[in-house]
Amino acid sequence: MNVIVVGCGRFGAGLASRLHQKGHQVSVIDQTAAAFENLDPEFRGRLIEGDVLSQDVLHRAGIERADGIAVVTNSDTLNAVVGHVARTVYHVPNVVVRNYDPTWRPTYEAFGLQVVSSVSWGTQRVEDLLVQPDIRTVFSAGNGEVEIYEFRVPPRWHGRKLNELLPDLPCGVVALTRAGRASLPTCDIVLETDDVVYFSTTLEGVQALRRLFKED
Amino acid sequence: MFVVIAGGGRTGTYLAGLLVAQRQEVRLIEYRKELLVRVHHELPTEVVYEGNPSRPDVLEQAGIRRADVLVACTDSDADNLTICYLGRACYNVPRIIARINNPRAGWLFDSKFHVDVAVNHTEILASLIMEEMSLGDMVTLLKLRRGNYSLVAEKIAEGAEAIGVAIKDLGLPQRCVIAAIIRRGEVVVPRGVTTFEVGDEVLAVTDREGEQRLIQLFAPPNNSNHTFRHADVAS
Repeated sequence: MNVIVVGCGRFGAGLASRLHQKGHQVSVIDQTAAAFENLDPEFRGRLIEGDVLSQDVLHRAGIERADGIAVVTNSDTLNAVVGHVARTVYHVPNVVVRNYDPTWRPTYEAFGLQVVSSVSWGTQRVEDLLVQPDIRTVFSAGNGEVEIYEFRVPPRWHGRKLNELLPDLPCGVVALTRAGRASLPTCDIVLETDDVVYFSTTLEGVQALRRLFKED
Repeated sequence: MFVVIAGGGRTGTYLAGLLVAQRQEVRLIEYRKELLVRVHHELPTEVVYEGNPSRPDVLEQAGIRRADVLVACTDSDADNLTICYLGRACYNVPRIIARINNPRAGWLFDSKFHVDVAVNHTEILASLIMEEMSLGDMVTLLKLRRGNYSLVAEKIAEGAEAIGVAIKDLGLPQRCVIAAIIRRGEVVVPRGVTTFEVGDEVLAVTDREGEQRLIQLFAPPNNSNHTFRHADVAS
């Protein structure tokens, strides 16, 4: 794939290096040449120094032939503007922009862009690890509105049915691992100690389950 | 008329002051503390709204929903484009005007981001300065884009061919009309019998052929390196 990464801070440089390692053709744009020092020494790709709002810079990065563009600078308005141009002027098939300050989400929503909020996502992960290790997040859809969690069935829930434990929860069961073997369970499966249950739910859903964990 | 101005730099603040003096309703949005001190010093308190104008909630609280005109004149092109886009896409503001900071970003300031009029101050300033320097040179004031016509201005240089000649005797081509003569600060309405004097500033509507003829007539006798200068004003 031909991919453009706009913004070569730690985030952009890390992304560009990963894409290069996976064998993609990567062009990196940044307004200051010094930023390219953030890149992995092994990185091989095109480096373009310049103002990304200049048409000439976008063309030199190959935006007309790009399969994807990631706009990950630390300016939310710049990310939104470049994302909008990539999508509506150049019809780049895959446009992803980074949301730097989470309070700027409504601006991105107005543009209808695919957004990754690294700060929201990161703080949520840290909070999970810090506060509630018995129910872990394993996958996050969107920017954490719905997530897939896993938990290990405690001995006190042995012999109970999943849908007894989770009667009113807005959730879907994704998989169950028993003795190292995964299966697609129905909600009336009888749990055994140390089963690992994977389920998807909202933030409210997981809070309800966490209260249940504490009550028993 | 209710005007919302985003950005309290010198341009935004001065514009807000002019509109206040004309008794228009104005709201200026600015968030940078260092600028707000000066803004508050120059404008009435009720005109200033403190917040970042690239954010929908701030625009809403500043009254964008009932704005007749939105002016984006922050010193960031990305901010100005975001503000213009929000102004039309979310709030349907009827007229949107934006300032271009870096001319290289100028290509984005059109319907892509719902900009109705883009003001490129670098270009305007440069062409005004060139106009002031132009004794004997012609300046294009306005391109009339639907035809090949322009509104041009030229000062009559000393020793020029046209001096003392009546308009009807100049032999102007068909598609060239003298629109006005500015003589010692007064407008003279041109008639066939009007003659030209040194220092007259002549406004003409003309096609390219007419421009060439006017240059020959108004330039100093031995001036061979005439150039056209275009102040690109949207028509």
